[in-house]
Amino acid sequence: MLDQGKNPHFDHLVALGKGEINRAIFSDPDIYQRELKQIFAKCWLFLGHMSQLPKENDFIATYMGEDPVIVTRQPGGKIGAFLNMCRHRGNRVCRADSGNQRTFSCPFHGWTYGNNGELKVVPGHRQVYHEELDMEAHGLIAVARIDDYKGMIFATFDKNAPALDEYLGDMAWYLDMALDRREGGIEFLAGVHKWRIKCNWKFPVDNFAGDSYHGPVSHGSAWESGFEGMPRRKKGYGYEGFQINAGNGHGFGARWAENEEQVYEMALPEFLDYEKERFPETRARLGDLRGMHLSPMHCSIFPNFSMLWQSGNMRVWHPRGVGETEGWSWCFVDQKASPEHRDLVRIHDLQRHGTLGTWEQDDVDNWVQSTMSSRGYVGRQVLQNLSMGINHEIEDPKSIHPDMRGRVAGFQNEINQRSLYGQWARMMEGDGPAVPGANA
Amino acid sequence: MSLDAIARSEMETWFSVSQFYSCEARYLDELEFEKWVGLMAEDIRYWMPIVSNRIGREVGNELTVRGELAHFEDDHESLSNRVRRLATGRAWAETPPGRTNHLISNVEIGEAEGDLVNVRSQFLIYRSHLETDQEIFSGTRLDKLRPDEATNWKIVDRTIILDHAVLTQKSLGIFF
Repeated sequence: MLDQGKNPHFDHLVALGKGEINRAIFSDPDIYQRELKQIFAKCWLFLGHMSQLPKENDFIATYMGEDPVIVTRQPGGKIGAFLNMCRHRGNRVCRADSGNQRTFSCPFHGWTYGNNGELKVVPGHRQVYHEELDMEAHGLIAVARIDDYKGMIFATFDKNAPALDEYLGDMAWYLDMALDRREGGIEFLAGVHKWRIKCNWKFPVDNFAGDSYHGPVSHGSAWESGFEGMPRRKKGYGYEGFQINAGNGHGFGARWAENEEQVYEMALPEFLDYEKERFPETRARLGDLRGMHLSPMHCSIFPNFSMLWQSGNMRVWHPRGVGETEGWSWCFVDQKASPEHRDLVRIHDLQRHGTLGTWEQDDVDNWVQSTMSSRGYVGRQVLQNLSMGINHEIEDPKSIHPDMRGRVAGFQNEINQRSLYGQWARMMEGDGPAVPGANA
Repeated sequence: MSLDAIARSEMETWFSVSQFYSCEARYLDELEFEKWVGLMAEDIRYWMPIVSNRIGREVGNELTVRGELAHFEDDHESLSNRVRRLATGRAWAETPPGRTNHLISNVEIGEAEGDLVNVRSQFLIYRSHLETDQEIFSGTRLDKLRPDEATNWKIVDRTIILDHAVLTQKSLGIFF
């Protein structure tokens, strides 16, 4: 039963030392409401990529938790983010998904805001408000902090949140393997897959954080039908490589290549030419560990951002109630990629991932089933198992490579899921910061 | 040709295409996916762009264009692979398979382009899955059809414009 006190304890719901989780965290509406406050109103959340807002006055609409927000590029180039909510009756002032506008007018009574959030026009300000309404105090609600890491825009509604760099921690350094492997970084292709899933938002985040175990069973039908997407160099069950936990609930899984030849051996046939083209540049920019040995596959950044590196796919899981999630999935490419390679990445991505993806369909079905089983009273009493490899982390990650950061385990290990739920419990418990030891 | 003969020719085309679409829909609803792929030309372009909400000067730019992200961007090989996947028995999201009804309507024959005929049609697809999962999809199809001796027509190019900005149910293992 959820303790309704001021600072209820959540660590008993996620007994990470034993790798056990209480299924109530996927179905209890009170816990969900607390997640909106403690996680989605406090953590840094991914809003979009700079390439989606190339020109002044460009905007995109998205969500932070269940709160709709507008992300704008203001005259002069500054990026801002605001609650998409008129200060009068609360209606959305922007009903487009993206576009280019200097102002946003509420369709209800016409209050009009600049794309810097300032309230500019209130119809009848003199005649009916007698000039007593404080225009300056009634701008759109701005996020508390907004920043970007190499083009990836994040924001938080918590003014006491640690800096973005601190929040991402070692994950930022690892993210360079996607964001900074070539000069010019990455860009998003236009278009977003959006779809509703009857699952709790944590299941897809968990899946992308560290579940390399499900591939051969869940995606067997896609692999054997021509929708490849995993490496060919097998060793034991699954593949040689590591799950790497970067702290603060962020983690990813990567294959391991001993040398340049193995990088090409593991490449998908259609990407091989491009791999050969970009490899020398990547290795020169990032060094041996990030530029050659690690070939990252999947990741999640706490709380709700995920990525499939090889497929050029990034996504966000917007919560829509305790039992529903809205997936948003983008395709990204290196800015230096040729038009031919862009075509290959896009087609590879959309035929596997997102709304009609041959892999995604079976993933989604899994998360729906996991969510359903957390609803029944009896089933909910049975703890969920996250114990894989619990006492088998690699003691000294620097023994693998001196540059290695974070905690490391074998490729088939639920270390990242345990870290994710550990961070979840830490955020849910109280008024502490998102990063242990950071400014509270 | 006399006006009467032109009208008769148009009616024949309309009738033939309408019959073809009914047959295609039946193949999909009866899970005869290999027969369905058999209606596609070898050089089929099967494409479903993404629709989004736009206002002001952006009205008219609701659909993604070629080179941008799409829901479907398939050719004969990838469509055949999607069908092969469904036949493995391990495409879990379609095991057991969903029950669909493809209703195809408002068939309009457009201009001819060489041996190709342009056809516009609209669809309403109902899908029921497992216990209570249900979805309705609506939209428009813009086809280029080529006459074919074996199947009357082959689909050479299909653009599917789905009305949904956010798909409201799962991911899709169905065809349009």
